[in-house]
Amino acid sequence: MKRRKIVSSIALFISCLTALWGIFWLFFIIFDVLRHGISAINFDLFFKDPAPPGQPGGGLRNAFVGHILITLCATLIGVPIGILGGTFLAEYGRKYKISKFISNLADIMVSIPAIIVGAFIYSVIVKPLGHFSGWAGGVALGIIMIPTVLRTTENMLSLIPWTLREAAFALGAPYYKVIIQIVYRGASTGILTGVILAIARVTGEAAPLLFTAFNNAFFSINMNEPMASLTVTIFQYAMGPYEEWHTQAWGASFMITVFILFTTILGRILIRRRYKF
Amino acid sequence: MKPEIEVRNLNFYYTGNIHVLKNINMTVYKNRVTALIGPSGCGKTTLLRCFNRMHDLYAGNKYEGEIIFQGRNILSKETDLIELRSKIGMVFQKPTPFPMSIFENIAYGLKLKGIKNKSELKDRVETALKDAALWDEVKDKLYSSAFGLSGGQQQRLCIARALAVEPEIILFDEPTSALDPISTAKIEELIVSLKERITIIIVTHNMQQAARISNWTGFMMLGELIEYDRTEKIFTVPSNKLTEEYVTGRFG
Repeated sequence: MKRRKIVSSIALFISCLTALWGIFWLFFIIFDVLRHGISAINFDLFFKDPAPPGQPGGGLRNAFVGHILITLCATLIGVPIGILGGTFLAEYGRKYKISKFISNLADIMVSIPAIIVGAFIYSVIVKPLGHFSGWAGGVALGIIMIPTVLRTTENMLSLIPWTLREAAFALGAPYYKVIIQIVYRGASTGILTGVILAIARVTGEAAPLLFTAFNNAFFSINMNEPMASLTVTIFQYAMGPYEEWHTQAWGASFMITVFILFTTILGRILIRRRYKF
Repeated sequence: MKPEIEVRNLNFYYTGNIHVLKNINMTVYKNRVTALIGPSGCGKTTLLRCFNRMHDLYAGNKYEGEIIFQGRNILSKETDLIELRSKIGMVFQKPTPFPMSIFENIAYGLKLKGIKNKSELKDRVETALKDAALWDEVKDKLYSSAFGLSGGQQQRLCIARALAVEPEIILFDEPTSALDPISTAKIEELIVSLKERITIIIVTHNMQQAARISNWTGFMMLGELIEYDRTEKIFTVPSNKLTEEYVTGRFG
């Protein structure tokens, strides 16, 4: 009896300790980014382009704008394909064996290293075209988004009870109207959550952009040219020799961290609201 | 008494050739309530779902025989299921409100029929809710979510939704099994009052309910229609021994 209690408290102690150890590093990283980053936030960071290397001043306007454009492009590619693909798996394709296979494949794709997608896009878009471009970066991030959005959509649609679909069919609704007007409506919060989490995920990617959008020291909104992004800029600036660069890299890290924190929390809140109705 | 539906030699198989309905023959009469009773798994819900071809939603199901409605065999391949289902409505065991407002729930079927005029929609939603005896309870919250209603109210909402498209027939699949006695009484009353305008087929587990509200009763067992006759006769002097044993509560 006594021995069991001792063993139990030791187990409890160890599990608490390991949990704390994990949480400690998490908060340490977030706190460190916030501490260094917040002092780097100023007007110039958002509204000025980089100064020549080694010179004081300048900002990361090019990287902010590039990052937004690339993410937008990725969202426009990844979200429609993901949602429509998920709809096929959960609705039209549910009777085919291949659907299960695609679904499993998407599960594997969710955890594929992003750099592999970058290398893939390098070989199919960047190499044939002969130059890096914002488009290539958008496509790479879009591909990373597809499996996440697809699987969430599929899951959320299958959570909608069949009796609800039957009720709509019983009124004489064709299948596409049942899906768009009833099923999507019921699953909208869940799907939106998946989209938000997918965007949050790709915002923090640097590896696939290194091979595709590369970087650009100048302001550009031409997606056909190499394009700056926050993550690649962080990579480059943090490795660079100048104090000014390090500060700006901290500022960019701060902005990305805040953005991802915010979107992820928003996603979680939406998930919780979903289960209320 | 005019016949509304003629079922002739109906056989039905679920995926994998599982024979669940065996040689069903019956006539459903217009403006009457027809009840289907029988022990669990006897095929009464399966039969009900043949009338609006609900089984077509799932691959591998197979019908044989004929169901004649308005002079045509609805089991034929040429049947327009969308048109059929707008003529033969259905109310399910569990209330199935759509994730939208009370008003939109009722208007949904009307919009499917192509009614876009706002004032006409409003009128017909109001009529449907009045017909389903729900208007007084919801008239002040038409634009709030249908999920806020009680189970009984949700079920009457579903009846109103089915009524709004003015079907010839409504199929009820154990509509009160998830409800309390008071809601049940309201829905039974409603069904009896509706038969003036439409034909009703109801599947029920509750024999007293069948006796209270139906004019005709079919007793089913193991996929066969054992006896089909006027409700008084089924419950007082059934011709078949099995029917007698079931309605007197000796099994089931």
